[in-house]
Amino acid sequence: MRAVDVREVSFTYDDGTEALAGIHFRVEEGEFVAVLGSNGSGKTTLIQLLVGLLKTNAGRIEIGGREIGSLEAEELYQRVGLVFQNPNDQLFAATVEEDCAFGPRNLNLPEAEVQKRVTESLAAVAALPLRGRAIHHLSFGEQKRVSLAGVLAMRPAVLILDEPTAGLDPAGEAQMMQLLKKLNREEKMTVILATHSVDMLPLFANRIYVLDRGRVLQEGPSEEIFRHQEMIVRAKLRLPYVSRLMYEMKRHDGVPIDGLPLTIGEARAQLLELIPKEMILPGIEESGS
Amino acid sequence: MFDLFSDIFTYRDNALTRIDPRVKLLIALAALVAVVSAERPILPFGFFVLCLGTVAALGVPAKLVALRLAAPFSTVAVLVVIHTFVTGTTPLFTLTLGGWTLTAKAEGFRQGLFLGNRVLGALSIVLLLGIATPAHRIFQALRGFRISKEWVEVAILMYRYIFVLLDRVGDLAAAQRLRLGYRAPRRGLASFSALAGATIVHSFEQARRTHDAMRLRGYRGTMPFGPFPALKRRERGILLLGLAGILAAYAILEWGVAG
Ligand SMILES: Nc1ncnc2c1ncn2[C@@H]1O[C@H](COP(=O)(O)OP(=O)(O)OP(=O)(O)O)[C@@H](O)[C@H]1O
Ligand SMILES: [Mg+2]
Repeated sequence: MRAVDVREVSFTYDDGTEALAGIHFRVEEGEFVAVLGSNGSGKTTLIQLLVGLLKTNAGRIEIGGREIGSLEAEELYQRVGLVFQNPNDQLFAATVEEDCAFGPRNLNLPEAEVQKRVTESLAAVAALPLRGRAIHHLSFGEQKRVSLAGVLAMRPAVLILDEPTAGLDPAGEAQMMQLLKKLNREEKMTVILATHSVDMLPLFANRIYVLDRGRVLQEGPSEEIFRHQEMIVRAKLRLPYVSRLMYEMKRHDGVPIDGLPLTIGEARAQLLELIPKEMILPGIEESGS
Repeated sequence: MFDLFSDIFTYRDNALTRIDPRVKLLIALAALVAVVSAERPILPFGFFVLCLGTVAALGVPAKLVALRLAAPFSTVAVLVVIHTFVTGTTPLFTLTLGGWTLTAKAEGFRQGLFLGNRVLGALSIVLLLGIATPAHRIFQALRGFRISKEWVEVAILMYRYIFVLLDRVGDLAAAQRLRLGYRAPRRGLASFSALAGATIVHSFEQARRTHDAMRLRGYRGTMPFGPFPALKRRERGILLLGLAGILAAYAILEWGVAG
């Protein structure tokens, strides 16, 4: 089934800024899709349309096969959940536990079920030990994970995140992406994320939409997206660093590289094939990745 | 400046923080009534000493206590001064200030001290309550007493966003200072009004985004609260003991029914 179907949607802000111009955007159930675009390309606008915070000027948005306007709030918010870019916008309760319980209590669930959901969603983001803590005593990374837990407690079919890794340190970024991957692969949750950081995406996203000035420039699996160098540059983005290196070696140094590796693992495999066996020192420890 | 709002102590585990907030709230309320209605100075002063002593015993740094009491202390000082010069008949001494003759009077001084003593007694009770109970537990207790939902909700949101706003205003002010915004009084005034304007805009924006975020999690105008378990036997005991203690102190110190 189709989780999200956006057809020919445009959106213009009150001040006349045309943020989206006739875009198509489709996500199947269980997919992990990234919306990639530079600052001001329209990512947040698209996301806010998907959760009904903004209303389209033209076009049609369907969530789980139903037109978004025809869904009751209660139904809609169990189908789509949004994690805001800034956790302060979202975390309003005094403690972690109360913030996570907010959604389930709004659904009038029995208290035992509320507690169960709080525990499960905090566990899912590795934040169980934070349960009794005050929100304003948490670090930024912890706040980010707790705000994700608060949305997970609603058990949305589609999880939407605006810049989930912005402002996180490298370890925090990796942890966040691993959490999302796990939710996607193990809990079968559909994940849509908006971002402008390209390095991690090929490892996680099934498909990528490239957005530029309110238009979709290209859509497809990451291999296909990053093959179009000029398009990436036009969208004010860049290749993942490892791909850039391989691209330069291929183009300027004539190294016979096949296609364009997008991850360190792929690049490593290719380089190993090119380096003569006798040049490789024996006895070096086998590493995991 | 932000130390004033520090609440790390309320999250410590000790005998006082463990007590149900409703019990603490009721005992504090009874103590407040006792202090405010006391006719003799000894009861308010006793509470002042007791509460500050407990606060110290909980390991709260004196600096924080001083910070929190600074404003009330100056209020009390003003209260005493005004009363001294306005009320009473028995002159203590006379001051001449630019042609004005002010006479300090004994009754006024005594009355000022007495009122100030009450104010400090009451405030030390609130201080102790605030150090032994996180704000959200107080809000919870208020809900437990069926205080209007709207008020409690507004209080919760205000409490949470004070910290966000303080952070942001602190950053803005620092950014202004780094660009010499407060170098001259004139410029300082302009910077300060810009800061005030920005703060208002920020709070509105924050409110809008937070309201959006709440709606997305099913908020329909009333905040849901968890259930209230009945008070445990031990808590009921503490409540009774606390109330009885206050009553006994009041009886002995105010009515003089010494045993
Ligand atoms: N409330 C608003 N009023 C008017 N114009 C707006 C508003 N919000 C966004 N815009 C404009 O709409 C366009 C798209 O903005 P949007 O926030 O969707 O971009 P984005 O891709 O999320 O950018 P970023 O990566 O910086 O978050 C921009 O040109 C922006 O200036
Ligand atoms: Mg954005």
